[in-house]
Amino acid sequence: MISVIKPGLETSVQDWPGRIGYWEQGFPPSGPFDSWSFRLANVLVGNQPGEAGLECQFMGPTLRFERAAIIAVTGAEMNPTLDGAPLELWASHVVKAGQILALGPARKGARSYIAVAGGIDVPPVLGSRSTFHMAGIGGIEGHAIKAGQTLPVGESKSVPGRRVKPAARPTIGESRVWQIEAVRGPNDDWVDEAAHQRFVSVDWKLQARSNRTGYRLDGPEWTFTPRATNKRPEHGEHPSNVLDHGYPVGTVNLCGQTPIILVVDAPSTGGFINPYTVPSAAFWKLAQAKPNDIFKFNLVTVDQAHELRRAIDRLCTPASLE
Amino acid sequence: MIYDEPRFLPGGDKFIEMELGDEMSFDCNFLVHSVAALIRQAKIKGIVELVPELSTIMISYDGDQISFADVVREVGALRRSIGSLEDQELDSRLIYFPVLYVDPWTRACYDDYCAKIAKKEWDPELLVRVNNLANLQQLIRVHSGCEYWVAALGFWPGLASHMPLDPRCVLTAPKYNPPRTWTPKQAIGVGGGLCAIYPDQTPGGYQIFARTPAPIWEPTQTLPAFKQSLALFRPGDRVRFVPVDREEYDYVERKVTEGTYQHVVSDFQKFSIKRYHAWLATIDPKERF
Repeated sequence: MISVIKPGLETSVQDWPGRIGYWEQGFPPSGPFDSWSFRLANVLVGNQPGEAGLECQFMGPTLRFERAAIIAVTGAEMNPTLDGAPLELWASHVVKAGQILALGPARKGARSYIAVAGGIDVPPVLGSRSTFHMAGIGGIEGHAIKAGQTLPVGESKSVPGRRVKPAARPTIGESRVWQIEAVRGPNDDWVDEAAHQRFVSVDWKLQARSNRTGYRLDGPEWTFTPRATNKRPEHGEHPSNVLDHGYPVGTVNLCGQTPIILVVDAPSTGGFINPYTVPSAAFWKLAQAKPNDIFKFNLVTVDQAHELRRAIDRLCTPASLE
Repeated sequence: MIYDEPRFLPGGDKFIEMELGDEMSFDCNFLVHSVAALIRQAKIKGIVELVPELSTIMISYDGDQISFADVVREVGALRRSIGSLEDQELDSRLIYFPVLYVDPWTRACYDDYCAKIAKKEWDPELLVRVNNLANLQQLIRVHSGCEYWVAALGFWPGLASHMPLDPRCVLTAPKYNPPRTWTPKQAIGVGGGLCAIYPDQTPGGYQIFARTPAPIWEPTQTLPAFKQSLALFRPGDRVRFVPVDREEYDYVERKVTEGTYQHVVSDFQKFSIKRYHAWLATIDPKERF
């Protein structure tokens, strides 16, 4: 059992791949935003890669372990300490009963992951332990953790002193410029060639109003094809309006003139076009970006997007440990 | 139009948007749900889930089990296997909702919006004006005068898009601009040509003018209607709004609070598009009630 002393900023229980099968009903997958770092944290402590752990955002929590545990912290650098002594990232550690794990503000990256051998043992809701706070389901009482709460931990069987090989980790660097892959579609025929050129040539700036639901981007105006400007009236007035349709997770949703990348807690449907989609392999970069960071988009094909995803999947196994 | 050949559009590495047409019509939506039912029955390995909408189906798939090209081939074949839409029938429950029209809660929400965000015409009066109705009484008569088709789910847990099945009852309205920051739970609104019940206190853009005491989703799964699922609606359900007075509204609300309210649902009918078309041919769509 773990006691929450300070919750951090919207720290929540997540599992991977999250709540799958309820998208039609409006329940997003949720789950860890950077599932690469998350899965490796679990692998480090001997869990299945998808077991429930904690996602820390921008400012990490302070936790007291009421019984001994094996833990690992991965992802963003939040200067984790155990009873005040620095704790190495990307490695598994023994925590003794009564010890305090404290994470600070994110220095590099934005999201840190804490895995505990045995996993966070909260009851699954619709097949997942992931927190979806907007509907108040999953995790601890449906919301981010709060001071004074306790987190149940499952039975463990693990070893400390393991490390993720540097080559198997995502590179969360000092640079505030991110190269983000994007696949054209589904609605790429609604914006014109000039817009397609701009999408891959300009710097897009991440707005502060961005979270696990959507990433808002600042950039140039969009221009459209006749499909968008000369359409049946039920599609709506603005060129970016379309008959309500399903949204892919990761899609670049054009809301008027503002592109919003819909991410892990996004709505499932709506009435705006989606000219591009960020493939799952690039989600870790979105997760580790901070407001005002710059995104540069690189187009990839569907096949390339699958290859990139497989390359990450192959790294999220015990073979990546040393 | 409804396309002879659907379009399959990539949505990254996990989704494919299947576009079956580009119009908002009952026929196009009926085709969507007929194809979605066939895809579900076929249990194609690697197809994870579907989001059927007004004229499209968002297909999610596992690229380690099935390729983009194979999804297109297999789902395309299912679409072609539907000969004439006229021969299709779908299971369709009918769900009744007690509704207090022109209620105090949507009025208070409207007043709050005017005070804090922007002045606008009161929603029921706007609906009367843009739909050329005589007064609020006719708005209630028209809105409660027909069955609605659950055309799609999504956006928010429990939310559904309702399409009026009788052209004489179609109401249209522009959406709030800017949107509301909150809407009373179970408020009923109209936006574009669609109607919706707000499942919870959420932001919103539809013109709101009524409220039902009966929930449409319940995460605690207390009421009998939610024992199987947190959300009430399934695509292909039909909905009927029954005007009630404040006393009846309060009675139902008490039953909901006690955890004993039984949603009024009949579940023994199939919807035949052939018979629906035959009935449509007998009415004058320009008439109002």
